This record gives sequence, structure tokens and C-alpha cells, in this order.
Amino acid sequence: MNEKEFADKLKPWLERSAASIGEMRAVKLKAARLRAMDAWREPVRLFGVVPMSSARAQAIHYGIVQRALLFLPLLVLIAVLAVQTLDDDGDTGDLDAQLLSQELPPDAFLDQEFRSWLGKPRG
Amino acid sequence: MSDFLASVERRAFKQAVFSVQEEESAHDIVQDSMLRLAEKYSDKPAAELPLLFQRILQNAIRDHFRRSKVRSTWTTLLYSMGLGGEDDDGDPLETLEVDELSNVPASPESQLEQSQVMESIEEALRALPARQREAFVLRYWEELDVSETAKVMGCSEGSVKTHCSRATHALAKILKAKGITL
Repeated sequence: MNEKEFADKLKPWLERSAASIGEMRAVKLKAARLRAMDAWREPVRLFGVVPMSSARAQAIHYGIVQRALLFLPLLVLIAVLAVQTLDDDGDTGDLDAQLLSQELPPDAFLDQEFRSWLGKPRG
Repeated sequence: MSDFLASVERRAFKQAVFSVQEEESAHDIVQDSMLRLAEKYSDKPAAELPLLFQRILQNAIRDHFRRSKVRSTWTTLLYSMGLGGEDDDGDPLETLEVDELSNVPASPESQLEQSQVMESIEEALRALPARQREAFVLRYWEELDVSETAKVMGCSEGSVKTHCSRATHALAKILKAKGITL
């Protein structure tokens, strides 16, 4: 007799053993099953597309909200910094515009490599 | 889901009894496993339920042993420190309750021989090392294939084959020694 044949002969005995657990135990098991079924919910579709258990869908929804709340202060900080940077960029832009718009004297265009300007004595 | 649970609850209970050797704990394990399956895997197709349930059940049995080990470590520690005592009056009662449960009314005489064989088989299964029993029950009672059994047990397929082979030979030896022919 090989392993499988031996196990096949043993199986009906195990089934019989499971069937004869007693009325009281069977009632308790049935009660446990009914309690489990109370916790069971029809599968739902996340965002109307992906089918999943209602418990998991709830967990995902909760996870999204939780993460959003977690990252909210960080997002606010990034937004504030971005606004400040943009303001700074605006100021620099204005200065550049003013400098570029100033009219230079004709000497400035004629002074090659600023030689005469550099040669002037400073006070 | 309900039909599936109804079809496996008795076998699951016996599996847990073989492992933890105590009916009330076995019942709690099965109840927790059914609850967990219903809560977490209601969206799974029916074909996947047996494997998922076996995984949950075997994990619950292992958790039971882990908790028992931690509890006994602390109990030993408290006793050695002289702190244990009055609070643990429940233990003898629990033992008494188990003894009471094991005093199931005797089977009718016509079934006596069969019940003796059944008891011997159960006894032989209980006597197996935990991993061998787990492999044997999953493979040959729950009829999972080798790879499924390996997934549930968290070991290699080779280990499953080894455990099954050893379990079968050990069972055959025990039953033969008791003069039981199947």
C-alpha cells in the first residue's frame, strides 16, 4: 500500500470523526458561522470600477483621507514657499527691467572693454 | 460564503482539536478564522476560499501556540518571583470543564468497535509532530495539492513531501502496533 492509498483509507474515518462531533458542538459551530456571516458584506466596487470587499474599500477610503490629512501641512508649506519665491522672482524682474530700460550715455557704447572708465581716478 | 463555511466548519474544528488538543480553544480558533475570512475576503471567488481559509486557520493555530508559550513563560516567571497564586484559580476549573467535555456519552454497542478505531486514529494523529500532522491533514484530508500545502504551511514543496511521507509511515506504524487494519 502506498502513501496515497493509505491516506485514502484513512480519510473516511476522519470524515466520520468530524461528523460525530456532537450536537452541542455543532450548534456552537453554527452560531460561530452565523456570527461570521454577520461580518460578511456584499462586495462593493471602489470608484464604481474595481470590485472588492466592503471592509477593504472602507480601509482604502480611510487611507486616502488619512494620507491627505497627513500631507496637508506639507502641502501648505510648499504652497507658501512657492508664493514667496514667485514674489521674489517678480522683484528681481522689476529691477532687471529698470536697469535695462535706463538710457546709457553714448560714451558707454564707445568705451571698449571699459578701459577709459577703469583708468579714471576714483574719489 | 455561508455554504462554504458550513461545509468546512466541522473538519476545521477537528483539525484544531488535533493540534491544540482542547475543544474550547479549538472552537475559538475556528470561530476567529471564519470571522476573519468573512471580514477580509468577501470579494474573493469561491474557488479561492478553501486555500485562504486553511491559511487563516493554520495561522490561528500557530498564534494560539505562540500566545500559550508567552503566557506560560510569564506564569513561570511570576511563580518563580512568588507573585503568582490566587489569581490563577481558573486553571483547575478549565481542566475540569475539559474533562467533562471529554466524557461524551458512550456510543451504542453496535458502533463501539468503529468508535474505537476512530479514537485510535485520532490518537495517532494527535501523537504526530505538529508539522507532519499539518502536512498530512492539508494534503490528504483537505485534498490540497503539494504547492498549495506548501503555501499554507510556508515551506518548500520538498518539505511538504517529506512531512507527508513521515506522517503516513508514523501513522501506519502506530495503527499497526494497535492491531488496527483499515
